[in-house]
Amino acid sequence: MTDATSIIALPAAPLHALEIWSNPMALATRVQKALGFALPAMNRSAGNGSITLLRFEPTVWLAEGAVSVLVDTLGDDGALTAIGGGIVRFRIAGPGWRELLMEGGVFDTSAAAFPVGATAATVIDHVGVRLHAESDDACIAYVPSSYAQSLHHFWDEALPLLAS
Amino acid sequence: MSGPSRSATGEETIPFTFDGTTYHARPGDTLAAALLANGIGLVGRSFKYHRPRGIMTAGIEEPNALVTVGTGGRAEPNTRATDVFVYPGMVAKSQNRWPSLSFDVASIFGLAAPALGAGFYYKTFFGPAKHWMRYEGFIRRAAGLGNAPTEPDPDNFSQRAGFCDVLVVGSGPAGLKAALEAAEAGSRVMLVEQDAEPGGSLLRDPDSAIDPAAIIARIKALGGEVLLRTTASGYWDHNFLTLTQRLVEPGAVPPHGFAQRLWHVRAGRVVLATGLIERPVPFANNDHPGVMLSQAVRSYVRRWGVLPGNRVVIATNNDDAYVTAQALVEAGAEVVALLDARASGPAAPSGVTVYHDARPASVTGRKHALRKVTAVVGGSEQSFHADLMAVSGGFVPVAHLHMQAGGKLTWNEEAQAFIPGETPQACETIGAGLAPPPAPAVPPAGKAKKSFVDFQNDVSLADIDLAWQEGYRSVEHLKRYTTLGMATDQGKTSNMVALSRLAEKQGVTVPEAGLTTFRPPFTPVTMGLLAGAGARNAGAHVRRIPLHALHEAHEPIWQPLGYWFRPRAYPLGGESLQQAALREARTVRTIAGLSDVSTLGKFEVSGPDAARLLEIVCATTVGKLAIGRGRYTFMCREDGFVNDDGTVWRLAENRYLLTSSTGGADRMAHLISYVRNSLWPDLKCSVVNVQEHYAGIALAGPRARSILAALIGAESPRHMGYAPGTLAGVPVHVLAASYSGERAFEIHVEASHAAEVWRAIEVSTRAEGGAPYGLEAMELLRIEKGHVVVGGEVDGRSTPHDLGLGGMLNKAGGFIGAAGLTRPALSDPNRNNLVGLVSLDGPIPEGGMLIQRAGQSPQGHVTAAARRILDGGAIALALVQGGHKRHGEELIVTSPTRGEKARVRVTSPHFYDPAGERYRD
Repeated sequence: MTDATSIIALPAAPLHALEIWSNPMALATRVQKALGFALPAMNRSAGNGSITLLRFEPTVWLAEGAVSVLVDTLGDDGALTAIGGGIVRFRIAGPGWRELLMEGGVFDTSAAAFPVGATAATVIDHVGVRLHAESDDACIAYVPSSYAQSLHHFWDEALPLLAS
Repeated sequence: MSGPSRSATGEETIPFTFDGTTYHARPGDTLAAALLANGIGLVGRSFKYHRPRGIMTAGIEEPNALVTVGTGGRAEPNTRATDVFVYPGMVAKSQNRWPSLSFDVASIFGLAAPALGAGFYYKTFFGPAKHWMRYEGFIRRAAGLGNAPTEPDPDNFSQRAGFCDVLVVGSGPAGLKAALEAAEAGSRVMLVEQDAEPGGSLLRDPDSAIDPAAIIARIKALGGEVLLRTTASGYWDHNFLTLTQRLVEPGAVPPHGFAQRLWHVRAGRVVLATGLIERPVPFANNDHPGVMLSQAVRSYVRRWGVLPGNRVVIATNNDDAYVTAQALVEAGAEVVALLDARASGPAAPSGVTVYHDARPASVTGRKHALRKVTAVVGGSEQSFHADLMAVSGGFVPVAHLHMQAGGKLTWNEEAQAFIPGETPQACETIGAGLAPPPAPAVPPAGKAKKSFVDFQNDVSLADIDLAWQEGYRSVEHLKRYTTLGMATDQGKTSNMVALSRLAEKQGVTVPEAGLTTFRPPFTPVTMGLLAGAGARNAGAHVRRIPLHALHEAHEPIWQPLGYWFRPRAYPLGGESLQQAALREARTVRTIAGLSDVSTLGKFEVSGPDAARLLEIVCATTVGKLAIGRGRYTFMCREDGFVNDDGTVWRLAENRYLLTSSTGGADRMAHLISYVRNSLWPDLKCSVVNVQEHYAGIALAGPRARSILAALIGAESPRHMGYAPGTLAGVPVHVLAASYSGERAFEIHVEASHAAEVWRAIEVSTRAEGGAPYGLEAMELLRIEKGHVVVGGEVDGRSTPHDLGLGGMLNKAGGFIGAAGLTRPALSDPNRNNLVGLVSLDGPIPEGGMLIQRAGQSPQGHVTAAARRILDGGAIALALVQGGHKRHGEELIVTSPTRGEKARVRVTSPHFYDPAGERYRD
């Protein structure tokens, strides 16, 4: 645990939307074989050293990292679409990250409701964001690029409020 | 000594000012307690008659002691002196008086009170509307509460989500017990208390068996959250409650920049331990400083060590006031009489004379205190010299949240009060609110005219009687006619007294007389709190385009467009907006220009059923597009009206890009999601919103093709062609589409690399004599070309036929809106059709009405007006009844609001290159 809560914009990373429209069981098996881990369940994440899959919708995963291995796996059952240019990733780290994300939020970020490894698509101060509880000490927020500067400012301003 | 006082102990260390005079308070004092401690009983002037008013209560129900706290943008008017805790340097001012609180010129209205009764405004200020313009200013100056600050509020407001298994509202004995039990049972507990200290009634009537501080510590140790200075202000559906938390006192400078927080709490179960509010007693001049509620007197004595008076008369219809008598005696006051309306009561404290069958009739007084109390005792009048009167007319459960939750009330005849009953939500009321003490109905003894019921609105018993006399039978009508129960206190002390009077007039019981509606908020909420962090940005974050910083370097005029900000024009050397836009548009017409179109909606559709989905969403044919080709398209709503427009491009065998307008992007995202996930969930395709993934740069003009070819090192695609390419080392999509009427391209690039691409295009374009252009030039270009814009010509009431797009409709049908378009009304030949207008006089007023001759009803309106870019002359686009068949007709455009008029000729909307020859290479 760090002493203070911080908000850091991470460097751009390859992000893709992975959508599956048919043969989900068979495709899940193929994906597991290709990646070495199963497709995560709703509001959960899974990954290996090179790729992390985060599920926010029933048929859509956010794929963070190298997706080349997935391209040939999908066949006609799904598609990958690049979306990384429109998303800024923030790492919110420190003891107050859960409390900070309740600022302007509508989502329960307590450890019981949002444990490590969980994901959520929610709204913070009217901005649609996706969250990934990376560890006890940090969460990754995926923010639309157009709102990134403004939302970063919003969080910076709210930091002194933690535990107030 | 008479009047309110407190013996100094040396703890009076907090300086504050009231009406410019410095006083000192003790830590924990409310402003009301501190004022009384300093001998101040006169605190404000009433709303209508400017009558002198003091402090009546010790809580949030206070109707009289409204003050403005703070200065500049932090000034908070109408703050209850009983609900603000003194802090060092607090500046408080009385309201609604001139030139001073002691000498208020407008108090002369009190003399005219007999003529200013209920409905005075309605009966007096009628007639032509223009007369009201004269009345209004005078009325606003004469009557009212505090003034809103004229400076912006420098503070921020937080909004935060909260979740719990059990939300307990109120930290009195019942609330503390409920919260502790829930926490000990393992529940996630939130306990909220509007006071700065927990304890509720225990602060007034301590119980040695209950230690609020220890219980709070235990709840917190069990993981519970305890919020002080927090009011549960709204109870909504699904156990969703809004809480208003003061992070600092009104007017204080917050150390972290935030003055208040609005909690959005979702609770599994809600426990309302909100207690009781004491009812005042109606008698003549019962609003005078020195008349206070009995429990409030006890609070000031016991909690704050303040003696609100030395010679006290108590008037009651219940046993609780006897406890106040005891407290006063213990504090050294003389209780000269205890007037009990009942025939008998409990034993009185030693030395206190009790008068049974006794009701107060009137009081007289001085500035800060009373002088004399007159009562009817056993049928005869009797007077008492006293400087304070403590009254108790019984108790009303605080059922506001219960009622906001959709609950029912039951009538308790013994207490003459409504008790919370059933509720449709997971909510229960506990504690004193379920069992108010018995308090029989007592007929008022004083003159009705000055027996006030609603102190905040100067509504007396006589006003209620008058409303009844004039035929107002419903309690809702009574409320609106007399203003009873309105304003900042929402009738917390007045409603039951008024209802009793109404019921008496109607000859029915109080429940039969009915109740008005309980609405949020429970106590007033500042507008800033509702706006939250977006208070300075019209409630929303600004959306920045990927190239925002790059444009900023050109010092453009920015244009808000929804939440986006886009360059409107890039003025050079002192150009006006119009001059810059015309120069930019001419550059596009003659050389080339580049513009940022990143905000366009963009959807990537892939999969074997991609074309099928697009043919459902788009009203034009899409399925036969060849790879590398695109076309203009538009989308309809289910009712057949045009929803949005854009282009669709086939990037690969099973991959398409659909663009839509900036303003329609979110609407289209919803529509496509609805089609994909709800209407056609079995389609084998994926739709991904890539609006922000790609930045878009438009390059337009006669030299655009050669500029682009040099940049991508390949032949530019022909009009409506698509080609992938590399520009400045960055992969791009090149779409040969035009909105300007010139040969043009949209270059879409992953947003994080957009700056390199823009710079390369800009350098090449400038080398040819071209320049960037903004939205204003784009508007001139598209109007001249006759392209529609969503929000202008596409106004939610236009069909494809109206816009001249009917020929593009997919004849096979099957698209959203196809069925709607078959409605006969949409084929009416007199519908508004898109036309062009050429001025026969001067400029055409935008938004102007189209008529044939003076006095005629409008036959259409101008949607967009401009001037010809190269040739001069005013043109416009318009929607005109039966317009397709009226080309050549002469009409008048009139704008009464601008006082402008012009003769115009109806034409085709395509003023520039109608054959599209400039698109051809």
